[in-house]
Amino acid sequence: MKTGYLGVDVGSVSTNIVVIDEKGEVLSARYLRTNGKPIETVQGGLFSVGEEIGNKVEIAGVGTTGSARYLISMIVGADIVKNEITAHAVAASAVVEGVQTIIEIGGQDSKIIILRNGIVTDFAMNTVCAAGTGSFLDQQANRLCIPIEEFGDYALKAKNPVRIAGRCAVFAESDMIHKQQLGYNTEDIIAGLCEALVRNYMNNVGKGKEILPPVVFQGGVAANRGLVAAFNKYLGVEVIVPKEHGVMGAIGAALLAREAVKKTGKTNFKGFNIKEINFKTDSFECNGCSNACEVVQFYENGELIARWGDRCGKWEMSTR
Amino acid sequence: MAKIGIPRTLAYFLYFPFWNAFFMELGHEVIVSPPTTKAVLDRGVEEAVNDACIPIKIYHGHVAKLIDKVDFIFSPRLVSLRKHGDFGTETFCPKFLGLPDMIRVSMDRLPPVIDTRIDLKAGKDELLNVCKETAFFLGMTAEKVIFNAYKKALKKQEEYQKILKEGILPPLALDILEGRKKRKEIPRIEPELNIAVVGYPYVIYDPYVNVGLLKFLEQEKVKVYTQDMLSNKELNGQKKYIPKSLFWYFSNRAVYGGLYYMKRKDIDGIIHVTAFACGPDSMVDRLLEIESHRHGKPYLAVMVDEHSGEAGVRTRIEAFVDMLRYRRG
Repeated sequence: MKTGYLGVDVGSVSTNIVVIDEKGEVLSARYLRTNGKPIETVQGGLFSVGEEIGNKVEIAGVGTTGSARYLISMIVGADIVKNEITAHAVAASAVVEGVQTIIEIGGQDSKIIILRNGIVTDFAMNTVCAAGTGSFLDQQANRLCIPIEEFGDYALKAKNPVRIAGRCAVFAESDMIHKQQLGYNTEDIIAGLCEALVRNYMNNVGKGKEILPPVVFQGGVAANRGLVAAFNKYLGVEVIVPKEHGVMGAIGAALLAREAVKKTGKTNFKGFNIKEINFKTDSFECNGCSNACEVVQFYENGELIARWGDRCGKWEMSTR
Repeated sequence: MAKIGIPRTLAYFLYFPFWNAFFMELGHEVIVSPPTTKAVLDRGVEEAVNDACIPIKIYHGHVAKLIDKVDFIFSPRLVSLRKHGDFGTETFCPKFLGLPDMIRVSMDRLPPVIDTRIDLKAGKDELLNVCKETAFFLGMTAEKVIFNAYKKALKKQEEYQKILKEGILPPLALDILEGRKKRKEIPRIEPELNIAVVGYPYVIYDPYVNVGLLKFLEQEKVKVYTQDMLSNKELNGQKKYIPKSLFWYFSNRAVYGGLYYMKRKDIDGIIHVTAFACGPDSMVDRLLEIESHRHGKPYLAVMVDEHSGEAGVRTRIEAFVDMLRYRRG
């Protein structure tokens, strides 16, 4: 049996599961759509990873990250729960030696992480604006009836990218429609959109940051070759897209788990076959004060094991 | 004897001790609105003009909580506290200047509003004049009584300022001042990190508005420093490091506080908490960011908003604390 470490990254759009070995090599990876059902997605994904490598690998540590990291930590039995920024930085540092800038664009957020000498020195996340994230590209691809996988290739075929206002997703869309109605071809419009998104990213998330190479571009959106080209053009350097760009957060969580169990010497991992366990959540509105917090209760096989969502801490019982 | 209502927000966190003592000395009862909750915010959003910032909306919510419970609402017109800035132009944010008018126009069934104009530019005695005017409003004209109350109030405020200077945050300092908590009851923790949190008192100290920021930092064994723990001398000494000071009192305090802590070696990082739709903060934030970079100090801006989304703020703070820990090694 080989020793492996499991990392689970559950974001708004995708759920990523990886198992790495002692050296950090990826043994198994899943990139799944969360579809608004984080618990079922993780259960199913973990089961399929177990079928693939369960009899060859023994999991010695588990880490979770992403916006559902606390919820999922209880389902899989995590040894460490970490925010996405730290997880992405850890993964990129392991894959690209001396990385100084990380561009990460996911389903509903985008971030920039600046590292110097292997240590995060600065970072930023998009605030109220989601223009340029995966969801918006998904929606536009859908509207143009182009599979999202081919979206980037269209951009690469463009000869004269048109100028599109990328400041806001709503304006970008109406601008795109306007350009279509004027008769510009689809390739030029898509390339223009990619450039607009890069401009928006740089002015929004990347504002005031010192971007030095090597620059790593990761997250689901890094699969889009049109955006990669647009970043190269804007920054004047070749951005590096790691092979496992879509699951870097999960790799980071697995690497962090490897560190975490070194100290504890044991794992809380519940096994791959958690499909059989019945996880359930319900919620109620607390009437204790006028905050009216929505308290979430989490059950494992009918037994209440965690509760969160209250501001005052009266109900809280969890791994947090 | 009358019941005077004071909203638990805006200037409350810094200047409540003075006015509380003053009104009590005149024989009145002071009623403070309850801590901010979702209901207070929702009510404020309903009552206030749409384009106001979150803190102003919350203020309306607090005023609403006091209606029917008090005889007067103390909502002074906060103009300025000192002659400062270029040509002595420093004032409070324009919304503070129009606060009593805003609530009068927007809200029904309001008890009489004590809207004394507080403009202390002219000098030290101005505060006594403000006190006289406030007392006249409540039917008190005996100069000696007013003067005594004013003296007592000043003393109380000094006492409060002293507690803050010990490095105690205003919510706890108020508890200590009022005798609700004892100093020795405060658990002593060995801090693992020192972070300066700068911003407006009503944003950083209100546990609802800051979405649990201070509580979370405490859990992470972070010692929090704020601009309000610094003396006026320490703050104003920072003026020379920027080409021009801002026009607004609270903004200057935040900027000076940030500048002060940036230069201190024991401070690991700076967090600026800003409220969505705050006009002055568009300058404060950028200024602090530029200066932090110049000083090589890690900097994080956290924006709080109506939607009270804890997750986003938490992710950023967690990552920031992680980063500072790695830097320390």
